[in-house]
Amino acid sequence: MVETRLLGPDESGVKARHETGALDLARRLPALAVAAKEVAATVMYGVHGRKRPGVGETFWQFRPFAAGESTSRIDWRRSARDDRVYVREREWEAAHTVWLWIDRSPSMAYVSSLAMQSKVDRALTLGLAAADLLVRGGERVGVIGLMRAVASRGIVERICESLIAEERRSAHASELPPAEPLAPRSQAVLIGDFLSPPADIVQTIDAMASRGAGGQVVMIADPVEESFPFSGHTEFRDVDSAARLRAGDARTFRSDYISRLAAHRDTLREACARRGWTLLIHRTDQPASRALLDLRIRIEAAQGGATIAEAQ
Amino acid sequence: MFALPLAFTVPMALAALALLPALYYLLRLTPPRPREVAFPPLKLILDLKPKDETPARTPWWLMALRLTLAAFVILAMAGPLWNPQAAGEGAKGPLLLILDDGWPAAPLWDQRIAAAGERILAAAREGRASAILPMSEGARDATLADGGKTLERLRALKPAPFIPDRSAALPTAARFLAANKQSEIVWLTDGLENGGAKNFAAGLIETAGDQPVHVLTQEKPPLAISGTRNNAVALEASIVRPVANGQATGVLRALDLKGAAIGETHFDLGSGTETLATFTLPLELRNDIARIEILNERSAGAVTLLDSRWKRRRVGVVSGETSDTAQPLLSPAYYIVKALAPFADVREAKANRGDPILALLDDQVSVMVLTDVGVVSGAAHDALAKFVESGGLLIRFAGVRLANASDDLVPVRLRRGGRVLGGALSWDTPKALAPFEQESPLFGLAVTRDVSVTRQVLAEPEAGLPGKTWAALADGTPLITAEKRGKGLIALVHVTADTTWSNLPLSGLFVDILRRIVSLSAESAGAARGDAGNGAVDQSANVPPTRTLDGFGALGPPPVTARPIPAFYEGASSVDHPPGFYGPPDALVAVNAMAPGARLTPADVSGLKLQIEPLQKSAPIDLRPALLALAAALFIADAIASLWLAGGLRLLRHTPAAAALFLIFLIGLFGVPGPSQAQSISQRDMDAALRTHLGYIVTGDAKVDEASQVGLANLSRVLAARTALSAGDPIGLDPARDELAFYPFIYWPIAPERPLPGAEAAAKISNYMKQGGMIVFDTRDALSVRPDGPPTPEQAWLRKLLANVDVPELEPVPRDHVVTKTFYLLDSFVGRTTVGQTWIEALPPDDGDGANRPARAGDGVSPLVITSNDLAAAWAVTRGGEALFPLTPGSPRQREMALRGGVNLVMYTLTGNYKADQVHVRDLLERLAH
Repeated sequence: MVETRLLGPDESGVKARHETGALDLARRLPALAVAAKEVAATVMYGVHGRKRPGVGETFWQFRPFAAGESTSRIDWRRSARDDRVYVREREWEAAHTVWLWIDRSPSMAYVSSLAMQSKVDRALTLGLAAADLLVRGGERVGVIGLMRAVASRGIVERICESLIAEERRSAHASELPPAEPLAPRSQAVLIGDFLSPPADIVQTIDAMASRGAGGQVVMIADPVEESFPFSGHTEFRDVDSAARLRAGDARTFRSDYISRLAAHRDTLREACARRGWTLLIHRTDQPASRALLDLRIRIEAAQGGATIAEAQ
Repeated sequence: MFALPLAFTVPMALAALALLPALYYLLRLTPPRPREVAFPPLKLILDLKPKDETPARTPWWLMALRLTLAAFVILAMAGPLWNPQAAGEGAKGPLLLILDDGWPAAPLWDQRIAAAGERILAAAREGRASAILPMSEGARDATLADGGKTLERLRALKPAPFIPDRSAALPTAARFLAANKQSEIVWLTDGLENGGAKNFAAGLIETAGDQPVHVLTQEKPPLAISGTRNNAVALEASIVRPVANGQATGVLRALDLKGAAIGETHFDLGSGTETLATFTLPLELRNDIARIEILNERSAGAVTLLDSRWKRRRVGVVSGETSDTAQPLLSPAYYIVKALAPFADVREAKANRGDPILALLDDQVSVMVLTDVGVVSGAAHDALAKFVESGGLLIRFAGVRLANASDDLVPVRLRRGGRVLGGALSWDTPKALAPFEQESPLFGLAVTRDVSVTRQVLAEPEAGLPGKTWAALADGTPLITAEKRGKGLIALVHVTADTTWSNLPLSGLFVDILRRIVSLSAESAGAARGDAGNGAVDQSANVPPTRTLDGFGALGPPPVTARPIPAFYEGASSVDHPPGFYGPPDALVAVNAMAPGARLTPADVSGLKLQIEPLQKSAPIDLRPALLALAAALFIADAIASLWLAGGLRLLRHTPAAAALFLIFLIGLFGVPGPSQAQSISQRDMDAALRTHLGYIVTGDAKVDEASQVGLANLSRVLAARTALSAGDPIGLDPARDELAFYPFIYWPIAPERPLPGAEAAAKISNYMKQGGMIVFDTRDALSVRPDGPPTPEQAWLRKLLANVDVPELEPVPRDHVVTKTFYLLDSFVGRTTVGQTWIEALPPDDGDGANRPARAGDGVSPLVITSNDLAAAWAVTRGGEALFPLTPGSPRQREMALRGGVNLVMYTLTGNYKADQVHVRDLLERLAH
């Protein structure tokens, strides 16, 4: 019979094992060169911060408005302090920014006897490994709501530190990322189980993608959650609410559950597709490297597409 | 009841089995607790209505388990008995239990008592009274009593050390059966004909009429020793059994009078009923054997007691004639050697060894036989006289030389010449022997008519002659005379040892007479028996029992019914004469349960109407505890199964502590390991016994214990460096648990915040101090104690501890106490502090004359010393020379003085008041020099 359990609070936190696990995993893949071909022209080998004005997100300098320029580029706030009219220039950024978000809500702290790892462990490993890969590929990685995007070599340690700091600050992690728009041309990598009501998830994705950011949603699932191998007199208990469901024979729920789960995923997949995002479903009984490989391919494809779209 | 030997004491309870179907229905309705599963995507299906609300049924195996459990409990309540005692079927009257209680019943006595007890209990359950009729008290009426009283009486019975005569019990049984019609008759027999089994059985059947007679027989026949012979090379014991089955081999053990084993030998009866076991031992050892027993055969018949009659004597034979080996039949020594050889070591004088008498006396003979030696003179005479005075036995045979001249080593004065009977010149016919007088030690020997005497030497008729006469001719002239001289005895046979004067040497009587006389040669046999005066041995006195065997073959004080026996009693034991040793300790006479050569014959009761049953019918087993235990086990299995069904075991897997607890619980239920019987001696105790260790009491206060450990270790090093004592590592002790006896010196720092040791610890301390150990109690409170103030916590703790200990009167250590002088000359015992007082057992008051003695000591070592200076803290210096505690006031000399005090205390413990005497050595040496 399948055994399931919830991790205790001391088990589900971010640990050194996540860090080393992520580094090990990332080392197994070649450096993630994001859309090398297309980026080459505009991005110059993916080196960051060209120390000159150009296409980018961060402020570089104010310069006097030159005649003939589009007036939309005038920075009115700066110009109001002076007699002259200024244009706000941004640093020419070669690299893209990838925003990471990892679900650490109670429902993630779940493992069954069929799985290799708990969901939260897998999510953290996957997220950190992706961060390491991206940084080694010259990208900047930030954590939504926690850490600004940096391209430090020690990105894994830094993300871990910020996650731990957040854990200490707030006991309860939210199930979904904050529904705020991301900068255009940035990528979101959302890793979680996404078992919240589909409307909330769709709303979040819409909000995040509203300024044109791309994204990948990685849905981590325990094998038990897919196959529903329960039978007999069973009482199901929700992990983050007091809801309970007593089933005389759990087998009778199986077909319903599976169809509902499929519908749920379809909804998410459709919402992602509408925004140009992708949905990746990963089960914890599969190796993490497989998910990472999938994720890498998708990030590459998405960034390539975005760059191409921008170039056109 | 059934084909199975199963019965129920409360069969009504079985009716509850009818409730099982109802229980089945109930159990079906009550499903086990649902399994609880955490499921994160629950929200997806939370709104689904369950299609099948009916819970899963209780699994069939769980239901079967529970029904079995209930059935077990019901069965247990019904009181099942396996092998119920099928007794008293049809019997309405009381139970008469006839018990063979001679020694053959002893080996299986417990089983017999158990079997009898079951019969009595079975009768009591049916409300019938019962009575016991033991064969040894066959003449006493069997009194009818209820089960409890009869059981009490039964348990008080012990096997008799003899085989009682069953015929005595027959009238008693008849009287009982006449008074109580329809009695149930049960006879627990030992299966032996000895004691008249067949007649008794026949009589019993006749008396019982139509009532059946149940006979319980034992399978295993008893083993017995029937006689022993101490022959030339070995001591032989003959072992018999009635029938050739049961135990065939065994071990025979020989013990001396004090119970020490002398030898062991194996015997094997094979398929026979008799065998000989031999102890091949040196003569001196064989003569020490006083008891031979069959190991593990607890009965009086398996024990043979040996007295001086079984001892082999060394007999020296000296003939007055020139020995002519060519014609041995003419030599008087020939007949003596032949007669004595089976039971004594006979030495003949070698021709080339000077004086034959002296040579034989040098051989440590205990009996000296002189045949026709007229006058012994010179050194031989003196030696012989001394030999007799100191307990030797001298037997002389007459002859022509003695008839002509005799010395003083004869019991009576002899008339010169002797007389001739039936010769050509006399008109007397040869004389036959008269029966032996009762006073004679030869009394009891059968006189054969064909012994005739043709010539003899005559004793001068004088006053004491009849008293000295052991045997006489038909006309009253003495044939054998004897006289006690000193511790010894001189016997004179008035005829020759060959056939020239009489045909006595040719008769079997000659052997018996010689054997009797030789057996008198126990060192002080004469002294014990011959107190009638005038040297004559008084054989009329019966000897009282000294120690007798009980039915199990153990020696004990004689019962009141035991009567004295005549000396040389050779029969088997009886009520009046239980087996055992009779007479004074230096001349014991042994009576044995089995007469020599006696046989055990199996009882032949075939053809009689007896209902024979084996004794060892398996005892009824109460199945209740087993059933209840089984039900409890099932209950636990049920609990585990329920837990498993509800998913509870999952918790155990992930919480090792809970799993461990659960395991411990299971082990505690099923495999309670019995308390280890063998109190093995710990390695530490063995070490402590082999080497002197200083001990300290572990208080539980880590700091104090460290100070004790390091301090005593340092003190041990100091002792090893300065004194002859090299003590081992100090050992921490728990006064409640550890054996204190191995530690002569125990340091006990008082830690008042620790709990007091229990009462048994106080008892151990008290015991330890009485055995000569010394405890140094250290209250460590010299700085906090105030004179006239309330007691410090340490003092209060110590007072409570010593409340139950026998504490002698104490005094502050006087300046002249030996403890201040045992190694160093000290004024006081300092430790971490110097101001504290040291108390020791008060010395006896000074008797005044010791004013100039520098040291005084009591009789022993003071059992305790109480100090408050925290000695161990001052001793506590590590091996590297680093002190653990600062001292107060702290001069460098203080630590040295503290160690010296410790050395003195240990030396005082080990040497006691030796030093108090040692102070006189100088004076003694000076005195010696003068």
